[in-house]
Amino acid sequence: MDLNNVMGFPILSLSIFLPTLGALVIWLFVRGDNAVRWAALGVSIATFLVTLPLALQFDTGTAHMQFEELHPWISVFNINYQLGVDGISMPFILLTSLLTVVCIVSAWTCIQTRVKEYMIAFLVLETTLIGVFCALDAILFYFFWEAMLIPMYLIIGIWGGKNRVYATIKFFLYTLAGSVLMLIAILAMYFEAGHTFSLLAFMDYPFDFTWQFWIFIAFFIAFAVKVPMWPVHTWLPDAHTEAPTAGSVILAGILLKMGAYGFLRFSLPMLPDASQYFVPFIVALSLVAIIYISLVAMMQTDMKRLIAYSSIAHMGFVTLGTFMFTQVAVEGAVIGMISHGFVAAALFLCVGVMYDRLHTREIGDYGGVVNVMPVFAAVMMFFCMANVALPGASAFIGEIMVLIGTFEANPVYLGMSTKWVAIAAATSVILSACYTLWMYKRVIMGDLIKDSVKTMQDMNMREFGYFVPLIMLTLWIGFYPLPVLDYLHVSVSHLVDQATTSKLAAAALAQAAPVLDAVHH
Amino acid sequence: MANVTFPFPFPDHLIVLLPEMIVAVLAMALLLVDLFISRENKVWTAYLAIISIVIAAFATLQLSSGETVHAFYGFFVFDPFSAYCKLLIYVATAVAMVISIDYMKDEENIGEYYVLMLFAMLGMMLMVSATNFIIMYLGMELMALSVYVLVAYQREVLRANEAALKYFILGSLSSAMLLYGITFLYGVTGSFDFVEVGNALAASDSNARSAVLLGLVFLLAGLGFKISLAPFHMWTPDAYEGAPTPITAFMSVAPKVAGFAIIIRVMVDALPAVQVEYTAILTGMAILTMAVGNLAAIAQRNIKRMLAYSTVGHVGFVILGVIAGNADGYAGILVYLSIYLVMTMGVFAIIIMMRREGIQGELLDDFAGLSKVRPGYALAMAIFMFSLGGIPFLAGFWAKYAVFIAAVEAGHLYLVLYALLFSAVGAFYYIRVVKYIYFDPERVAFNLVESRAMQTTVVVMALAVVALGIYPDPLMDLCKQALAGLV
Repeated sequence: MDLNNVMGFPILSLSIFLPTLGALVIWLFVRGDNAVRWAALGVSIATFLVTLPLALQFDTGTAHMQFEELHPWISVFNINYQLGVDGISMPFILLTSLLTVVCIVSAWTCIQTRVKEYMIAFLVLETTLIGVFCALDAILFYFFWEAMLIPMYLIIGIWGGKNRVYATIKFFLYTLAGSVLMLIAILAMYFEAGHTFSLLAFMDYPFDFTWQFWIFIAFFIAFAVKVPMWPVHTWLPDAHTEAPTAGSVILAGILLKMGAYGFLRFSLPMLPDASQYFVPFIVALSLVAIIYISLVAMMQTDMKRLIAYSSIAHMGFVTLGTFMFTQVAVEGAVIGMISHGFVAAALFLCVGVMYDRLHTREIGDYGGVVNVMPVFAAVMMFFCMANVALPGASAFIGEIMVLIGTFEANPVYLGMSTKWVAIAAATSVILSACYTLWMYKRVIMGDLIKDSVKTMQDMNMREFGYFVPLIMLTLWIGFYPLPVLDYLHVSVSHLVDQATTSKLAAAALAQAAPVLDAVHH
Repeated sequence: MANVTFPFPFPDHLIVLLPEMIVAVLAMALLLVDLFISRENKVWTAYLAIISIVIAAFATLQLSSGETVHAFYGFFVFDPFSAYCKLLIYVATAVAMVISIDYMKDEENIGEYYVLMLFAMLGMMLMVSATNFIIMYLGMELMALSVYVLVAYQREVLRANEAALKYFILGSLSSAMLLYGITFLYGVTGSFDFVEVGNALAASDSNARSAVLLGLVFLLAGLGFKISLAPFHMWTPDAYEGAPTPITAFMSVAPKVAGFAIIIRVMVDALPAVQVEYTAILTGMAILTMAVGNLAAIAQRNIKRMLAYSTVGHVGFVILGVIAGNADGYAGILVYLSIYLVMTMGVFAIIIMMRREGIQGELLDDFAGLSKVRPGYALAMAIFMFSLGGIPFLAGFWAKYAVFIAAVEAGHLYLVLYALLFSAVGAFYYIRVVKYIYFDPERVAFNLVESRAMQTTVVVMALAVVALGIYPDPLMDLCKQALAGLV
């Protein structure tokens, strides 16, 4: 047992609610735009510091939930306020608290209207995101999952671009319609598993195949919209393009991970048989995302749209790795998500830096930026290379692990040879290089022809500052991923065990139990 | 039972009627007192009416003991269920009066307005305590006649007259259908008493079945009208639009509470023998109601009409609790109505404030840019809208949750799936209001008519929505206890 459980200090609750408390204080007591910015920065840094002990005091030797908290919440329906993290969810909490700091710094000057509301929305959003990764009660999970829509809807709708209203309503309705099915699946499981909403109880309960089949579909739709998987991805390019820079950062960095996290937390351990049954289907959708969406990305003229499509392609890798049920592939998927959290976030920030200067995202409006912004060009070069998954960058570790894991996946579980899947997925290495580097070439390289580009100033210290932690983390995971893998190892191995252990025998036994009893007597 | 002594002879068994007597006596007294209050001071009529409600509420709380007590030889019942419903009705009426005070300053201010609200409330109190079809009908008519007049209050406005006339004609028709249905049940069972009807139906032979079903259909048509269940919802948008806004708020909550209370009691006591049949009929009506309410609301430009259709949509969700037919379902209905009361009253208080020089403030466009001028009201309105849309950490989510889980428990998984899809559709027109408030530029100058009373109402309701959204346990517990004597 780790120290924190013994001490009983509610560190997860504090991480979840500190941002909202801070937002409340800012709302009531802080006046003036600059004061609001500093206060929000202070709150987000404090939250980051509060989440640090999760990593430092994490016990990598156990797959059990850690830092657990359990209080009755709505006793009539046996809903509990149950929190806890394992090696899979813990990194995402740190990623969230780190990216929120980055978001607040990045919005320092480009958000000039309604600064207070903006900061409050981001802090409330942080609460809901950390809550999703901590929740161990299905209703609590759903509660945070849905509550996230409110701040995100406002962030895109108020501070977004020209088509913001269309984009934000589309985002809201897509996600809401998807989650509706998740709620019904949760309610159905509640009655089947004996009036409990505990995720751990759901993982242990032997659902029979028909149940698993339908519940998997319901969860799948909810998670696939969030990931997003082809063909329910169409909200993402719109939302990304219209969102303010920091909104895109948090969208790419965290929100997309919630869907894949849902697969890891719900589908695989609770519905192992249905998960295996649907592998060919998911593999097909993932390959479409990797190959077809990469081609779509290549043809974009809007930089944010291009990165949005690139995100969908990278998430294709994540879903592919998740459904291979091998230790390496699943770990690769999680590393891929974390890495994408840095790299895609940084690329959106790069576009944001340029957008703040010229107020356009069109690739055709730029060219030769390297001549006026050399430091910026170097930073963007670094993240473009990372997006291509060049060795030494974090994305490389994720992709290579997914590919290896896919190669060695056991066909017995999957009922298909995965060699060809791995080969098809590997084309993404070329395709992602094509769209990323081509964009880089057109925007940064070339001669300085356009007058507007000539006026651009290089990054200031603040802008450079928020890239520094992202560069360091990308390199750190790229060169020395072992510490992160250590966090994952035991939890993922436990998850793979759960996902490859059929529940059908136990389900059959449970159904036969009354009959057997009758025979005995 | 609280020990109340009187300085004059008072029949013991009538003590549970004390709240009704208080309201009846004080309402009639107020009618006389009002004659001596001048036009400018009509606000005192409102205060006296609110005080009457507070006294009645106090009496109801004193009488509640968790026991079931009958009066009038079984015509009337006082149990935790009726006490809880009465408290909801008191709150709805009192809040509607509070938000009327400012609204009425611009109208022809006559004291009968408040007295009529008291009489409507008295009718509803009788409804929720009725154990007999006759008492039920009496209460319902008292309520309906008072509300017809209130809808027509702005007698020089064309749309108010049109609304009231439509409401009156359709309402009379529905009353006739209700009575017709009751006669069938009386014909088969020989009784008006709910429990006796229930027992007789359980024992009746299959020859009487078609008569019973015919009676059931007419009964459901009549009751469906009162709670705006499609296809008997046609009056709702017109009446909501034409009525003075505080009356719209009043109508969208209080009569719904009374209507659902009487439906629950009739279904539980009188009609368990035909549960399969009434579940089937209500399922069909629920499917229609959810679709009509939520789809038609999308097309509205007037927020009162939009909320009218939204009420219809919500009624479609609430009726799932009756379809579930279990204790959780009925408790879910009470949870839903309680939360709906809070959200709706808050929304209408804001709408009333939007009325300003030359503008009714009822169009969605009139809300454009509110957040830049009045961020506080904008936030409150956004809270109410997200809550009505059922988005968590706001109370509206738990309202839906409470009835949906009961329906899933009763095996209506597909119906709940359908309801959830329409709640996603419904979210669209609620978040569209947020769009006007937050995303659009200001179109007309805001010069809101506001008062301390209105501000307090909005703040209290918004805080309640958030508080109940974060910690709904006490409310859910209370509603569960309220059903103790019934199921």
